[in-house]
Amino acid sequence: MVDRVGAWRRRRVLAGMMGGAATLAAPGLLRAAPSGKPVRVGGTLSLTGFLAQTAMLHKIASEIMIEEINGRNGLLGRPVEYVLLDDQSKPEVARSLYEKLITVDKVDLIQGPYATAPILAAMGVAQRYGKVMIQSSMGIPKLQTYDRAFPATPFGSEPDVTYPNVILDAMATFPAPPKSMVILTSKFPSAQFMALGMKAQAEKRGVKVPLYLEYESGNRDFGAIAARIKEANADFLWVGSLGLESNLLLEALRKLDYKPKNHFHLYPAPGPLAVSADGDKALCSTFIEPDEPFMSRPGMKRIAAEYKEKAAKANLPYPTIDAQACGMVAEWQILEAAVNGAGSLEDEKIAAWLRKNRVDTIYGKARFDGPYNHGDAAQLIKQVQNKEWKVVWPKELAAPGVKLIAS
Amino acid sequence: MNANGLSRLGAVVAIGVLGFLPMARLPAFYDSFLYLVFFWVSLSTSWALLSGFAGYFSLGHAAFFGVGVYVTADLTTKFGWPFLATLPVAAALPALLALGVGAIVFRLRRLRGELFALLTLSVTFVIATIILNTPIDGGGGIFMSAVPLPNLMPTPTGTIYLLGFILCVASLGIAWKVVHSRLGMGLFAIHDDEDVAEAKGVPTLRYKLIAFALSAAIAGAVGGVHAMYVGFITVSGTFELTVPLYVVLMSVLGGARSWFGPAIGAAAITALLYAFISGGEAMVGRAIVGVILIAAILWLPDGFVPAVKQWLAKRRRATPPPAIAEVAPVMPAIKPVSDKVLLEVRGATKRFGGLQALGGVDLDVREGEILGLVGPNGSGKTTLINVVSGFYPLTSGSVKVDGIEIGNLPAHQIARRGVARTYQIPRPFVNMTVLENVVLAATFGMEHSSPFKWGGGSVIRDGGVMSDTFDAAHDPSVGVRRRHLPRRRGRSASEIRDEALHWIGFTGLAGKEEALPAALNLHERKFLELARALAAKPRLLLLDEVLSGLNPAEVDNAIRLVRAIRAQGATIVFVEHLMRAVVELSDRVAVLNEGKLFALGAPREVMRDPRVVSIYLGKAYAA
Repeated sequence: MVDRVGAWRRRRVLAGMMGGAATLAAPGLLRAAPSGKPVRVGGTLSLTGFLAQTAMLHKIASEIMIEEINGRNGLLGRPVEYVLLDDQSKPEVARSLYEKLITVDKVDLIQGPYATAPILAAMGVAQRYGKVMIQSSMGIPKLQTYDRAFPATPFGSEPDVTYPNVILDAMATFPAPPKSMVILTSKFPSAQFMALGMKAQAEKRGVKVPLYLEYESGNRDFGAIAARIKEANADFLWVGSLGLESNLLLEALRKLDYKPKNHFHLYPAPGPLAVSADGDKALCSTFIEPDEPFMSRPGMKRIAAEYKEKAAKANLPYPTIDAQACGMVAEWQILEAAVNGAGSLEDEKIAAWLRKNRVDTIYGKARFDGPYNHGDAAQLIKQVQNKEWKVVWPKELAAPGVKLIAS
Repeated sequence: MNANGLSRLGAVVAIGVLGFLPMARLPAFYDSFLYLVFFWVSLSTSWALLSGFAGYFSLGHAAFFGVGVYVTADLTTKFGWPFLATLPVAAALPALLALGVGAIVFRLRRLRGELFALLTLSVTFVIATIILNTPIDGGGGIFMSAVPLPNLMPTPTGTIYLLGFILCVASLGIAWKVVHSRLGMGLFAIHDDEDVAEAKGVPTLRYKLIAFALSAAIAGAVGGVHAMYVGFITVSGTFELTVPLYVVLMSVLGGARSWFGPAIGAAAITALLYAFISGGEAMVGRAIVGVILIAAILWLPDGFVPAVKQWLAKRRRATPPPAIAEVAPVMPAIKPVSDKVLLEVRGATKRFGGLQALGGVDLDVREGEILGLVGPNGSGKTTLINVVSGFYPLTSGSVKVDGIEIGNLPAHQIARRGVARTYQIPRPFVNMTVLENVVLAATFGMEHSSPFKWGGGSVIRDGGVMSDTFDAAHDPSVGVRRRHLPRRRGRSASEIRDEALHWIGFTGLAGKEEALPAALNLHERKFLELARALAAKPRLLLLDEVLSGLNPAEVDNAIRLVRAIRAQGATIVFVEHLMRAVVELSDRVAVLNEGKLFALGAPREVMRDPRVVSIYLGKAYAA
């Protein structure tokens, strides 16, 4: 008996161990590794040229997402192969390379390039060949006139109307809501587009705009502009900046012993502005940050960790995942969902599926049934607090324990 | 069919095949890639028209290209023009802009070289700023997706290809035509020494303007087509600095002084840029392209095409020269000094700010005489030569040649009225062979009837031995060049070439026709100066210290040559410090001192004049 009991016990222990192992291994066993001929997805990024620094974020995000997709079930059970070419930051090269991808390399699917001009150059090619093109970085939705082009970033169809109102809503919660606003913008098309919208919406809501200025993209000398901003001394400074322009402007203002009361920056380089003393309390546009509640979205923690590792390895100055990189993550999430959802690699079927369905992305649920295939707008406001970017608006999406601070 | 005919047939076949390539329905990428090759070939070739040929290094090509881009973008999207109808305007507006800019900057001597490069670059910034801050763009860019493209080919990419190809062929055709014309020859001379080119009769201002306008027109038309290719036009993308930088790089790599060189450079660099497009190798690829380009420029400083030409020329020289026709020598046309005044200078004054170089010189030079012009350093001799030849405009007074006022005419018009000059320090066109130097002078020299006759004459041979006849034994490549020489009004290219060969032989430079000036010694370079002056068939020849730096034997040789020149009927004014030559050669001597005529008369009498001795000679030359 004892033996029998002992034998029974051993069997139970063994069975328990095997069961436990099986339970632990179940997701892997249920998830078949993709096999067969790879699905070739072609795209270009500006890996060299003046856009290279930002395109690098997209490249890292793509690498992570291809590993993610292939670690699941691939596309229709087949592994994904990314055919990435360098468009050298030139729209004309982007156009020719999309023609190469489609007509010579004969890729199955395409992904959009980075930045408005290459996207529009590539979109014309996609349209001629009826290819679905998902892109994440075109800031002027109305230019996306091709019915099989889809946005991965939730700008909404009229960000020049919706986002200024997000900012105005946030301003209205200040202890002393701003009554005047200086608007300064780069003449970069997507920044200028938003600046004009900001001006129109501010005036519509009774906020005076005593100064509206435009400067050439890439400007380095903000001395004269700073003097005019100081002279206007408005309650709020809205800057349609790119890259390091915000840092240069704030430095020029400091030299005039002027600190803007509240200041917002559209598309600045996140790292330099966050760590700069001038950048304290700066406000900025975003769609997502590596904090709660966003970190609880499916896959976000893992993707953010992988991104940090790869970005550090690539010596990126700001190795934290941000809205730019998340845009590319969302591109791949949408492509994966659409192909597997449509059960086909045919562009017509993929496009039809996207127009009818919603997709869970790193940005939340995305839909594509609005004007220019755009869905809901989800632009947020983040703020530099203790040299870190934190989402502060809307309140329900603010980082835990963080509040919008008026200067 | 000879080699020339075969190459022409080959070119026609290639144009036909390439023109209809889109009909073959190749993958669109090939149409696009070839379009981009054509695009860069056209842009770099158009840049070379002014900057490569004439040496006016421009960094502003993006301005003309950009104006063309925006003309097409605005006319199609805002005014509803058909795309093709915009292209002539896209070419015309940049050409007008170039004419406007050129009309100002080309008149200023100080705006040559790097200043011209910076000025053209600033023109780009100004144009970009205007476009950015006006409704032409305004900053938002222009999206052209709704502009219909004509169906010239089965596919849109094919249509763009065809338009790019047409512009490419037109650009190369224009460049070829320019190189083989008076315009091209004049531009090459401007490249080497603009002042000398003007003095040899090249209308430098007009030629530069023509080249600038042609260059800008091509760039503008290319921009018009490219607007459709890109589809979304932004100021930053259009006027970016990489456009002129690529264009310069392509032209320099291929050979900016060659009509075909920029095309080779453009094709090579475009192909290289596409050789490393894979995402995994992008950065390494760029580095490799950079290394290749640096190596090419280091090894082929003049560019690929000139290097190949030099190599072929060396191969040709290895073969025995074919029989060469004897060039007719010059008939002596010795005429006595007449009483007719050919050069009449009255009250000639020239001031440089507060410095008065000429203070009212009165001087007559009679037809057929040799007038020696002497005086201490700073007395105004060379200034007088410069004023008469048009290098400096007169401050006041008058200079007449054969009774016609030339005092404030441009130098090239004075040259065409029969006034030729040499320089104390020889100033040959350094990138032209001896033959090309002399052909240029013959092409642009005096327009009217000349005292020079053909038929027989004396020749300076090696070592200064005079002979009665000569032939022009020269390199076989001279024969090849013959058909490339531009035709001048009233004279064929071969007639001009024969005249040039004659004067080369006359000055003892036979056998050096294909040599570059750098390969000549000082003596030969001085004689090249004379050969160029003679080829212009001057009525009045101004020699500026032609004997300085020569050894005694060479001086004797040169004196004989000057006499031989006078024997052809030329009137000569020569500035000289060598008193032996002055006395031996001059019919009369004029002495300048402090910018004024100090003495004038027979050589020996003037040399004995105690006043002249005291201010200049220090002692009497002849007792």
